[in-house]
Amino acid sequence: MKKTGSDIILETLKEEGTDVIFGYPGANTLPIHDRLRESPIRHYLMRHEQAAAHAADGYARATGKVGVCLSTSGPGATNMVTGIATAYMDSTPLIALTGQVTTNLLGSDAFQETDIIGITMPITKHSFLLNDVREVESTLKEAFELARSGRPGPVLVDMPRDVLTASYAGKSRSNNGQRSKKQHTSPKEKLEQIKHIATYLNRAERPIIIIGGGVKLGKACTQLSELIEKGRIPFVTTMMGIGSIDSSNGFNLGFIGTHGNELANSTVHHSDFILAVGTRFSDRSTSTIEEFAPLATIAQIDIDPTSIGKNIKVDLQLISDIGEAITEMIPLIEKKERPEWFQRINKERELSEKRGSCEGCGPAGKLISMIQDIMPEKTIAVADVGLNQIWTVRSWQPKTPRGLITCGGMGTMGFSVPAAIGAKIGVQNQEVVAFSGDGGFYMNIQELATISCYNLPVKIVVFNNGNLGMIRQLQDLFYGSRFNASELGNKVDMVMVAKGFGIDAGRVSVNDPESGIEKMRKTDGPYLLEVMVDPDAYVFPLIPPGLSNIEMIYGRSD
Amino acid sequence: MNGEEHLISMLVNNKPGVLSRVAGVFGRLGYNIESLCVAATTDPEISKITLVSKSNSDSTERTKKQLEKLVDVVEVTELSQIQSVQRELILIGIKLHQEHRAEIARAVDIFGCKIISMKSDYYILEVVDNKEKIETVLNYFAPLGIEEIARTGVIALEKEQ
Repeated sequence: MKKTGSDIILETLKEEGTDVIFGYPGANTLPIHDRLRESPIRHYLMRHEQAAAHAADGYARATGKVGVCLSTSGPGATNMVTGIATAYMDSTPLIALTGQVTTNLLGSDAFQETDIIGITMPITKHSFLLNDVREVESTLKEAFELARSGRPGPVLVDMPRDVLTASYAGKSRSNNGQRSKKQHTSPKEKLEQIKHIATYLNRAERPIIIIGGGVKLGKACTQLSELIEKGRIPFVTTMMGIGSIDSSNGFNLGFIGTHGNELANSTVHHSDFILAVGTRFSDRSTSTIEEFAPLATIAQIDIDPTSIGKNIKVDLQLISDIGEAITEMIPLIEKKERPEWFQRINKERELSEKRGSCEGCGPAGKLISMIQDIMPEKTIAVADVGLNQIWTVRSWQPKTPRGLITCGGMGTMGFSVPAAIGAKIGVQNQEVVAFSGDGGFYMNIQELATISCYNLPVKIVVFNNGNLGMIRQLQDLFYGSRFNASELGNKVDMVMVAKGFGIDAGRVSVNDPESGIEKMRKTDGPYLLEVMVDPDAYVFPLIPPGLSNIEMIYGRSD
Repeated sequence: MNGEEHLISMLVNNKPGVLSRVAGVFGRLGYNIESLCVAATTDPEISKITLVSKSNSDSTERTKKQLEKLVDVVEVTELSQIQSVQRELILIGIKLHQEHRAEIARAVDIFGCKIISMKSDYYILEVVDNKEKIETVLNYFAPLGIEEIARTGVIALEKEQ
C-alpha cells in the first residue's frame, strides 16, 4: 500500500511512543498537518513556535518521554531556536520537526527558506535533512534513539515538502546509520574505577555527594537514594538536581551555587571527598573555580565524557550510565557514622538558621510554600527565570524527581507557562502550577489563548513587582542602584488581560494571599493569580559575581 | 596566533555536513585549523579527515572528546611526529628570471622537486615530503621569487597498528 512521507513520519512517531505533538502550521507543513487529522497523535496548536518547543520540553521533563514539536520552515523554524537551545542546555530529549522548502529549491533563498540545520548545529545533539522518502522511517527512528540515549538532547529533523508528499510502498531503507563507537572504558576498567571511588568514599571523613540533573535523566534516583542511606552520606544538589531525592530526606543539605543555600555551599567547601554524579559543574554551581572545594578529592560519574573534568579538575572519573555505576557501587559502600562530620554540619545549619537578618525568600517564599501545602501532593511546579525562579526552587520541596521543573542552563524567560502546558498535557491527572515574574510572563503571554482554547486546568502564579526583579536586584547591589531598563511599570491590568483571554483570574498582595490561593485551588479550570510584590523584595543570600561559594552576602548592607 | 600545533586524524561518516560540524567544534573552541585534508577511505561510507589545529592549549583531550561527541565521528586520534609518517604535497609557481635559472636548476636537483609545468618563463614545481622539508624548500625558493603556491595540508598514517 502506498504511503506518503507524511504518513510514514506519523506512523514512525507513533511507534516511537509519541502521543502528542506541539505545533504550528505553515505552507510547508500542510501535507503533514493534513495527515494529522486522522492520526491517533494529538496535535496541540500553540500560539508561537517558541512555545511549541517549550511545551515539548516541559512535556519531556514531566513525563520522561521524548517531547515532539513541529513548525514550518523559515520563521517558524527560527522561532523554535530559543526553545531548542533551552532543551539542549538542560539535555532534554526532544524531536524538533521543521517544515522545509522542496528539495529542488534548497539554497535558492526561496519563500520561507532557512538553513535551520546550519542555524541549530551548535544547539542540537544532531540533525537530519530528509531527502529520500525511502529513508524517512529509519532516519526518524535514529533521531529518536539519539534524542533519548546517552546524554539526551534535542534532535532536529528538517522535512522538505516534496519528501512529505512523495509516495513509497516498499520497506524502509537504512540511511547507512552510524557505526558503533569505540567504548571509552572496558567493563573491567569500569569495575576498577568503581572500586577506587568506593574505597575513597569509605575512607573519607567529610564526604559529600553532589547530585546534578543527570541523575533524573539517567533514571538513577532510586539507586542513588539507596547508596546514600547505606553509606549515611550527606548530599547536596545543583539546581537541576532538586527533587532527585525526596527533599525531606535527612541527608539533604540543600542546593549549591550562586543562589543556593549557605549550608550546602559551606559543607562542600569543607568536605574532603566529593562524589559528583550527573553534574557538569556549571559556573552557576561552582562560582570561582579556583576556590571551589579546596580540600576535596573529587570523583565524577557521568555518561558524557565531555562533562568530566571540563571545568573542575577531577581526581577520579567514571564514564558510565549512572544507574549501572551506582548499582555496582552499593555493595562496596560501608555504613559509617561519621559523628564529627554530622556534628559540624548541624552546627553550621544552626548558624545559618540563626542569621535572622537574612530576608531569604521573604513573603513570596512563604506564599509558594502555602501553595504547595494546599495543592495535592503530586503537584508539579514549573518555575520561570529570575527572582520568581529562585524563590520557587528554594521554597518548593519536591517529593519526586519530576516535581519541580525549571530551565537552568539557558535561563530562558517565558519558559514556565508553555512548559506548564506541556507538563499538564503529559501528566493529565496531576496538578501543574506555573510560577513566573511579570517580565517572563509577557514573553509567552499569547499562550493564555492556548490554555483557554483547550481548557487546560493549569494554575499560573505571576509575581508582579512592576520590574525585571533580578536585574533590579543586581543593579541595586552591584551597579550603585543605577536602575536602567529594568522597570516594566504598572499600567497593565493582568487580571483583565487574563479574563480577556478567557481565563479566570484574581489579584492578591503577597502579604495577604490566602483568599486568592484558596480561589485558585477551588477553580476547576485554568486560573491566573497575580501576586503584587514590593519591588524591593529581593532574594538572599547570593554569591556576588567573581567570588567563591563561601562568600555569600545576606543583605544589601553586606 | 601563538600556540601548539596538533595533528589529528579522524574517521567520519561520509555524509553532507560532516565537515561543517567538525569545523564548528574548532570554531567554537576558538582554535584555528591550519590545514585540512579529507577523502574517502577504502570504505566509501567512511572518510578520513587529517587536520592540523593550533590552540593555546597543549592538551587535545577536550577537543578530542567534543569531536567524539559528534554523531558522525567514528574515531579521533592525535598523531605524534615519531609514531607516524607524514606527507604533504605542494605546488610552487616560480617565475624564471635569467639570473636565477642555474640556481633553480640546482635546487630542483638537490631537493628532488619535479618540474611538472614549463611555460616560457614560468615553472611549476611539485614537492612531496614532510612539513619540515617543505618549509626548507619554500624558504630556499622565496628569495628567488615565488608567484603562487598550493598546499594539500598534511596527511599521515601511524607507523604501527
